[in-house]
Order: sequence, then structure tokens, then C-alpha cells
Amino acid sequence: MASANPAFDRLMKKGELIETVGEMTPEYLKELKHTLLVSGDTELISAPAYYLAAQRAPSINAFMTGIAIIQDELAHAHIAYHILEELGEDQEKLIFSRDPKSFRYPYAFDVPLETWTELIVANAMYDQAGFCLLGDIHEQCSYGPWKRGLNKVMLEENFHLRNGRTWCKRMSQAGGESREELQSAVDWMFPLTIEWFGLPDSMKMHSTQLDYRLKGKTNDQLRQWWMSLVVPYMEEIGVAVPAHMEVADGQETWVLDYPFPCTFDPEAKRWDFRDPCTWDDVMLRWRARGPRNAEMIQLFQEEFHNFRKSHAGA
Amino acid sequence: MQREYQRVHQHVKVYEVFARKARPEPLRQIGSVVAPDADLAAAYARATYDEERWVEMKIVPKEAITTLWAPGEEVAE
Repeated sequence: MASANPAFDRLMKKGELIETVGEMTPEYLKELKHTLLVSGDTELISAPAYYLAAQRAPSINAFMTGIAIIQDELAHAHIAYHILEELGEDQEKLIFSRDPKSFRYPYAFDVPLETWTELIVANAMYDQAGFCLLGDIHEQCSYGPWKRGLNKVMLEENFHLRNGRTWCKRMSQAGGESREELQSAVDWMFPLTIEWFGLPDSMKMHSTQLDYRLKGKTNDQLRQWWMSLVVPYMEEIGVAVPAHMEVADGQETWVLDYPFPCTFDPEAKRWDFRDPCTWDDVMLRWRARGPRNAEMIQLFQEEFHNFRKSHAGA
Repeated sequence: MQREYQRVHQHVKVYEVFARKARPEPLRQIGSVVAPDADLAAAYARATYDEERWVEMKIVPKEAITTLWAPGEEVAE
């Protein structure tokens, strides 16, 4: 993997951190920017997604926790976008002038979170996915400024996760309607988070992100890690999830109880486990974006342009 | 080299944020913010980097920092 930049090759080979653009190859810079954009967009979009659900909080205290989480997510987005800015991108353009469909966050956020229950399941499952993805980057990332910036992010994702888990447990123990509502949220949100980690390794031929140490784990390894944290917890609190553990050759593997991938009706929030599909079908659904994409982006883009207009020339 | 930053405000600059968690610790850089003046930069820093109960937090305009040497940068003659 020799490049035209011997300093870059030396740092990569030694497992050292890259600190400046001068030390990068153009390919590394491109891949780093792409990875940062996905991360920034994901943190940013979680704010409107969570905000629209936090309004349904059952108490002032619960609402304030929701708002504190949203504030954290915005700070995390700031970290990724500011690094992009230092790498030559225009932060305002990235956030306020991009077409809603070109944002690079996981499809899951396009399916509306409409209740407090769905919000806390998102904290328990989506934030767990964020924790696995960013935890891996935090540990492995070869770009110094991002690796250091993630110290704060990891601390706070832990807090979101705890909020999600505490609430899931409380709702499950309450039983009755509360438990049923929790179970039906988990029923559509679990498979959506499984998809979050992307193509299976058997279909993804090569990962430049792994070559450049922008991440350390493959899609399947991340998916396994996520299941190893989510499945036992859900079982422990009495919530059913469509996955189980199998031991083969002394190795623990988490296995899904449904065909992966399969079809999803985003309006009804319902998976059809009897209707397997191909990854091409999934990609089509992802690229078309989901029901809430435009509404969420508009939530912050519209205000910005109104402000711009009213302060023109100021 | 000072970069130009595009913001709703016309003139903005980067402030580096420094903090420490406890008295025995040294101050260290924990992040940065972009703002039109020190007051707003302080507000941004307080709101953005609230992950710890810092005993001290300071901001410094990046342009006020003189680099003697740094990884990946040419050493000044």
C-alpha cells in the first residue's frame, strides 16, 4: 500500500497518529472526510429526531433529560463538522445549504420517533449503535484530532444509553399497556438498528476505512458487538428480541431469527419477516430516504435562512 | 495560517478551549469553538464542553498562540 507520501507510509506502518493535512495522502483525506461527514450528519439528525419525540415526555424531568441529550448530540455534531472545517470544508454550507437527501445519516432516523417510548428505545438501541461505531473509532482512529475529540463523545453516549436502559426496564416492570408499547417499539426498531451497520462482510469486498485505520472493526463485527450488548439486556428485562446466541467451535455468535435483509413498511413501522429481500432493495429504500427526512432537515435549515434574510447587511 | 470561517456573523475566529477536572491536574486543550467575540466564544465553550465538572476553563484566540514546533509541521528556521 505504498503511496507517493513516505511520511504518510511511515506513520501508518508505525501505527502512529496523523496530525496534519500535510501528512496525508489525497485518498486518506477523502476517506477521512467521508467518515467524518457520516458521523457529523448522524449526530446532527438525532437532534430533530429526538426533539420531535421529547415533546411527548411524561414529565418535566423526563423532558429536561431529553433536551440535555439533544444538546450533547449537537455538541458531538460540532466536533465532527469543525474538524471538517479545519480540513477545508464549509461548515455552514454542509449544515444549512445541502439537499436533505444528500445527508449521510442512517435510514433509521428517517422513520419518525413519535412517542416517549420510541425515544427511550432509540436511546437504548440507536445510541448503543453510535457507542459501538464511535467507540471503535475512538480506539482505532489514526487521525489525532478526531481521536481526542471523541473522549467527550464517549462519556456522553454512555449517559444516553443509561437513560434508555433505565426507562426500558421501568416500562417493562410496569407491565400492562406500558410493557406492550415498549415491546412494539422494540419490534420495529431492533431490525432497523441491525441494518444500521450496513452490508454484511461477505458482500463488502474491501474497506478503505480499515486500511487507513479510520475504524478497526468490520460491519459484521460491529453488528455482533451491538447484539452482544443489546440482546442479553433486553432478555434480562423481559423484552423479546428476534436474535439468539449460538456456540460453534467454542465461539459465541449472535444469530438473527429472521431473514436478513427483509422488507420494511416505514409508514406502518412493520417488518415482514416472511418476505426476504436483497441488499439492492435495501439500498433503494435507503437512497429514497424515509418519511421524516425533509421535515427534519427543514427544521434547522429554514430558521437559518430566515435569520440570514432578516439580518442581511448587518 | 489563519483560515477564513463562514458564519452568519461576518467576522469570526477560532478559540481554543482549555480545562482541567481537579486542582492537581494541568490545564489541557479539550476542544475549540468558532465565534465572533470572546463573550460568545465563552458561552459556546460552556455549553459545548459540559461533559465534566471542570474546576477551571479558559479560552484563547487561536491566533494568539505561537507555535514553536508541532507534529507534521515544518520547524521554523
